[in-house]
Amino acid sequence: MFNFGILLPDLLSILTVVPRTIAMAVTIFVFATILGSVFTLIEHRRIPVLRELVIAYKVFFKGVPMVIAIFLAYFGLPPAFEFIASLVGLEINGYATPSWVLLIIALVGCLAAFQAEVIKGALNSFDTGQADAAHSLGYTNIQMSRRILLPQIVVAAIPDLATSLMVTMKALSLGFAISVVDIFAQAQLTAALNYYYLEAFVVAVVVYMTISYTITRGADMLERSLRVW
Amino acid sequence: MLELKNLKLSYGTSQILNGVNFSVKRGDVVSIIGPSGTGKTTLLKCINYLVKPTSGTIDFDQIRMDYARPDKATIQAIRLRTAMVFQQFNVFKNMTVLQNVMDPLVVVQRKSQDEAREIALMELDRVGLSAKKDQYPAQLSGGQLQRTGIARALAVRPDVMLFDEPTSSLDPELVGEVLKVIKDVTSSGITSILVTHEMQFAKNISNRIVFMDAGVVAAEGSPSEMFDAPANPRLAQFLSTELETQ
Repeated sequence: MFNFGILLPDLLSILTVVPRTIAMAVTIFVFATILGSVFTLIEHRRIPVLRELVIAYKVFFKGVPMVIAIFLAYFGLPPAFEFIASLVGLEINGYATPSWVLLIIALVGCLAAFQAEVIKGALNSFDTGQADAAHSLGYTNIQMSRRILLPQIVVAAIPDLATSLMVTMKALSLGFAISVVDIFAQAQLTAALNYYYLEAFVVAVVVYMTISYTITRGADMLERSLRVW
Repeated sequence: MLELKNLKLSYGTSQILNGVNFSVKRGDVVSIIGPSGTGKTTLLKCINYLVKPTSGTIDFDQIRMDYARPDKATIQAIRLRTAMVFQQFNVFKNMTVLQNVMDPLVVVQRKSQDEAREIALMELDRVGLSAKKDQYPAQLSGGQLQRTGIARALAVRPDVMLFDEPTSSLDPELVGEVLKVIKDVTSSGITSILVTHEMQFAKNISNRIVFMDAGVVAAEGSPSEMFDAPANPRLAQFLSTELETQ
């Protein structure tokens, strides 16, 4: 029997972790996008050596399941932190690093590879004739990027960026593996206390859908208001 | 005023420019004609360094550069004194017609918004686009886009206008309105270099014709010398096929 009465308490319990989940998702999204932009810039400018490193990085992180990246970070980063600290003569306890920090680092690592492709796609959609025209009129690269390139590729990237924000939010549920509690994990924990698993996950689905609908609508509105042409 | 010497350029193994010598005097209207793939557009884009020749020199009034040793400041100095009209229009898609014409004045020439607007409106009037000034490129026809490109180029008050096949990607019924504007520009006395396949138009507006073939200037002269009594057999052959297709 589906217990309707449990839905409200479940919802209230799950809502307590929504701000944390969104905050982590946004943090990961921002850092992954910045890192991905740097990768794209390196590839676009064909900077030797760095470019090969970026390509290798992308092959690795696009191919490795995120849950493995999370475990690699969980077991690998604390000793790595201790080692790096010892190089500068510091003694720290790497194992005291909170799990959520390790989760954020792992997911930034994975998603930067995907963000790089999103940004590359937007960059490729820009027709370079406009850059030629700007240069012929004496624009510097920076002036051209600021006035012409960026306004166009930012708008072109909005739908894909919104999608990757949602992918990021969903990827946080993998944090359960290293005991970071997000929406999914909270549903699991709530149900573990009262055994109403179906109810808890139905509530979780509703919460996820509400957030993703809001992001999609927000992105659509943002795109419409920026795409003046 | 402008002189290019021994310009060479190759992409991989294919030699596009094979030692081109080319010069323009102040007030000249020079049309560059020739078969497709002979480097006409490439030559034009060497002037403002949108393509990079491997060797050769440019003399532009007091500005001088050896293409083997390109120099940012010199390239910029040349770009500030020239303006180009492109085959693919290349208007800025994120700006209205008016903003397209104003932006280089504000960003590059550091003019005030008011001054830039005044100049832009004047140039838009000249190309007959005043009514479209607040439209975005996506809402315009090819002919209107190209006239925007011409207004944008004129607004910077260049010493030399570079027209790169300005009507080649237009629907036939739109060619006329653009040619009319170009004719108006060239007859105002501004030095112009025009790469074109419109033979009759080139003959009418130019005081000199340059015929390029296989990466070199194969013949040059006045329109009547070149069109009415072509001495160069390749030119004669080219003109007969061109006039047939037109």
